[in-house]
Amino acid sequence: MKKHTLIGLRTEYLGRALAAAVISLICLFLPYVQLSDGKNSLFQVFLKLLGDSGRTGLSVIVFGTVILTITSAATGIFSVIKMGKTQTKIWQCLQIFSAIFWVILLFAGKMILEGNGIAAHVLVKELGIGFWIGLIASIVSLVLIMKAAYTNTGYIVLTVLGIIWMFPVLWILLTSLRAEQGYYVGYFFPKNLTLQNFVKLFGNESVLPFGRWWINTLIVASCGCVINTLIILATAYTLSRTRFSGRKAFMNVLMIIGMFPGFMSLIAVYNILKGLGINQSLLALVVVGAAGAAMGYHVTKGFFDTIPRAVDEAAIIDGASRLQIFLHVTLPLSKSIIVYTVLGNFLGAWSDYIFPSMLFGDKQSSYTVAVGLYWLTDFRRIDRYYTQFAAGAVVVALPIVILFIFLQRFYVEGLSGSVKG
Amino acid sequence: MDKTFQKRNFITIFTKGDWISKLSYVIPGAGNIFRGQVIKGLLFLLLGICYLIFMVQKGAGFLRDLVTLGDTLQGMNFNEALGIYEMSEGDNSMLILLFGVVAVVITVSYLAIWLFSIYSGEAARANAAAGKKVRNFVEDVKSLANENIRFLLLAVPVTGLLVFTVMPLIYMILMAFTNYDQDHQPPGNLFDWVGVTNFFTLLSAGDRLSATFWPVLGWTLIWGVAATFSCYFGGMILAMIINSKGIRFKKFWRTIFVFTMAIPSFISLRVVATMLGERGIINVLLQQWGFTESALPFLSNVTWARVSVILVNFWIGVPVTMLMVSGILMNIPGELYESAKLDGAGPVTTFRKITFPYMWFVTTPYLIANLISNFNNFNPIFFLTGGEPHTLTYYKGAGKTDLLVTWLYKLTKDSNDYNLAATIGIIIFLISAVFTLISFSRSGSMKNEEGFQ
Repeated sequence: MKKHTLIGLRTEYLGRALAAAVISLICLFLPYVQLSDGKNSLFQVFLKLLGDSGRTGLSVIVFGTVILTITSAATGIFSVIKMGKTQTKIWQCLQIFSAIFWVILLFAGKMILEGNGIAAHVLVKELGIGFWIGLIASIVSLVLIMKAAYTNTGYIVLTVLGIIWMFPVLWILLTSLRAEQGYYVGYFFPKNLTLQNFVKLFGNESVLPFGRWWINTLIVASCGCVINTLIILATAYTLSRTRFSGRKAFMNVLMIIGMFPGFMSLIAVYNILKGLGINQSLLALVVVGAAGAAMGYHVTKGFFDTIPRAVDEAAIIDGASRLQIFLHVTLPLSKSIIVYTVLGNFLGAWSDYIFPSMLFGDKQSSYTVAVGLYWLTDFRRIDRYYTQFAAGAVVVALPIVILFIFLQRFYVEGLSGSVKG
Repeated sequence: MDKTFQKRNFITIFTKGDWISKLSYVIPGAGNIFRGQVIKGLLFLLLGICYLIFMVQKGAGFLRDLVTLGDTLQGMNFNEALGIYEMSEGDNSMLILLFGVVAVVITVSYLAIWLFSIYSGEAARANAAAGKKVRNFVEDVKSLANENIRFLLLAVPVTGLLVFTVMPLIYMILMAFTNYDQDHQPPGNLFDWVGVTNFFTLLSAGDRLSATFWPVLGWTLIWGVAATFSCYFGGMILAMIINSKGIRFKKFWRTIFVFTMAIPSFISLRVVATMLGERGIINVLLQQWGFTESALPFLSNVTWARVSVILVNFWIGVPVTMLMVSGILMNIPGELYESAKLDGAGPVTTFRKITFPYMWFVTTPYLIANLISNFNNFNPIFFLTGGEPHTLTYYKGAGKTDLLVTWLYKLTKDSNDYNLAATIGIIIFLISAVFTLISFSRSGSMKNEEGFQ
C-alpha cells in the first residue's frame, strides 16, 4: 500500500482519472441531441446559446458544463504532470462541480433546449451518445480523483441518498407554504409563498376543526404516554426482578396474545366500550391504549435485566422494601429506557390511525390528527385541501421531529437493547 | 419429618386436611376466617357471594345462550288489540356471544380466585402448624410492597389485558367458527355456529374466497421477505458508510436520515402517496425533465404498485436499521479489521467475512421479529395504496397489494364479514407462531435470560 503513496496521494489512480476527464472533454464534441439541422454536439448547443441574446436563465447550466469540463481536464493535466496534494484537491473541487453540472444537465436538458426554442420535443432517452458517455466519464473521473486524494467516496452515495430522502420532506414543506391552492401544480417550487395555509387551518372560519384535532391528539398522546410508561415499567420490573410461579407462563401468554393482529378484536373492544358508556370519547383511546401497553414490556425488561442484582441485594440488606428498590434504585438507574418508552408511546399514540378511525366514525369533533389528515387526502377532497393538508402535516410532524432529534441518543440505546432482548 | 410440614397440592389439601380445609373448598375464605385471617377470609367470601349472585341472575343465562347464539328472530307481529304490526325484539347473536364470553372470562377469573383462596387458607394452616405467626390483614397489605409486589404492580396491567385484549380476542376467535357475515347481521338476523367451515372455504381451491386468499398470502410472504431484507441490507450499508473513516459530519448525515423516521409514518406515507399519484409531483417532474412522455402508473398498475410500496417502505425502514446497526457495528472488535487489512483483504471481503457474519449472528432474532411485523405491516400498504389496484378475480374489496392484515381490516370495516376476518386473524397468528418458534430454536436469548445478571 505504502509504496504507491506520494505525499498523501494514490498516484496510480491519477492517470485513470485524467483519462476519464479527457473522455468527458471529448464527449463535448460528440453528438448530444438531434435537431432540425442534424445531430448537434453539446459544444454546438453551447455556441448557439452563446449567440442567442434572449436565452433563458437555465442556459447557464450548459455554459457551466462546457467550461467546467474543459477547465477540469486542463487542471487534471497540470496536476498529473506536477503531482501534488494541493493541485489534486483543486482538481477534485473542479471535478465535483463538473459532475454536478453534468447531472443537472440530465434533468434540465429538456427545459433548456425547449425553452430556448432550439428543439421542439426532447426526451431524455433520445439524447445522443456524447451526453451519456460524458456524464458517466465525468462521474467516474470524480470517483477516481477522490480515491487518489484519499477522500471517502461515501460522500457521493450519502449526498445522492440524502437528496432522495429529503425530497418528500422538502416537497411537503414547500406545499404548506404555497399560495397557489390545489393538488396539481406543474412545478416544484411555489410561485408565491404564504402562511395563509397555517392560518386557515387554525382559523375560526375554517370548516375543519383542525385545532380541535390537534388538541385531542395532544391530550391522548400525553395521557397515553404517561400511563403506558408506568404500566410498562411496572410489568417489566416485576418480570425482570421477581421470581414467582407462573411468571414464565405469563410471559408466554403475553407473547401468544401479541401474535394475533391487534385490530382483529376492535369490534369486540368497541362493544365493550359501548357497554361501559365511553365509546366515541377520547377517554376510550387512552383506556384501550393503556390496557394493551403491558405487551410492550420486552425492551424495558431487557434493560432491567442488565442492572446487576447486587444493587438490589445491597438495598435489601439496608432494609429497603421491593417497592422502595423499584422507585428509588431501579428507576433512577433507568433514565434512558424511561425516555425511550415515553417517546415510543407518545409517537405511537400520536400517529395511531386504525383504532380512532374505527371508534369515531363520522364524529369529526373527536378525530385525532391521524384520522383527520387521512380524511383530508381522500380523492374527493384532495384538490380543495391539499395545501392545508400539507400545513397540517408540518404542524403534526414538527413537535415529533424536534423531540426525536433531541432524544435520538435514548432511542438508539433502546433500539440496540431490543436487539439483545 | 412431620406430615404437616409437607407441601400439599390441590388434592391433598382436601384429602389430608381437617374440616376447615375441606370447608374452604365449599365456602371460599373459610380456611382464612377460622385461622385468624378474618378480613382476608371475608373478602374471599364476599367475592364468592358476588360471583354466585352474578351467575344466578345473569351468568348462567349467558352461558346457556352461548350454545344456540339465540333462536328468536326479530320480526313483525300483528298486535290485535291495537290493530297494527309492531316490531318484536329478537335475539342479538352478537351480544349473546359477547356476554357469553364475558361470563366465561368472569368464571375463569373466579376459579383462579377460588383456587387462590384455598391455597391461601392452606398457607395459613401450614404457618400455624409450623409455629409461625399467622399474618394479619395489615401485614398482608404491607407485603404488597415487598415479597408480593407482583400483585401490586401487575394488578392494573393484567386487568387491562383481560378486559380489553383477552376477552375481545376470545370473542373474535370464537367468531371464526360462526357465520357472522354480511348476510347474518344482528339484530335483524341471527348467526350460528358453523364449525370449521370458514377455514375450509378460505383454504380449499375453487371458491372465490380461496382464489383471493392464496394470492394475498403469497404477496404477504413476498412483501415480508422483500421489505425485511431490503431494509436490513440497506440500513447496514448506510450505517457502514456513515461510520466509515474519513466521513466528516457523521451526526449531520445521521440526522438527515433520521428525519424520515421521526415523521409519523401516516404522514410521510400519505405525502408520498399523493406525490406518486397520476398528477402527483413525481410524475409532473418526470415529464418536465423529459424522462417519460405520459404519467407512470406508480400506484395503479399491479407490478408498479408492488415495487413502489417496497421502495417507499425502504425509504422509511432504512433509517431504523441504520440506527440499530450503528450501535452493533461499534461492538465489532477493531483488531479483526486490522488483521484482515494486513492479510490484504479488500472492503468487500472484509464485509463478507467479518462484518456480515457478526451482524447476522447478533441480529437473527431481530430479523425474524422484523419479518413477522412486516407480514403484519398495516401502515405502508393502507396509507400508500389502500390495497389497490382492485381486481375482478378477487373477493370484493381486496386488491392486488393487499396484505392479509389489510384485507382483514377491510373485511371488518367495509364488508362486515367478521367471520372471515376472524379466520384470517387466526391464520396470521399461526404464521407468526411458526416463525417465532423458528426464532426460538435458533437463539439462546430465552434460555440464558439470567445471563446478564
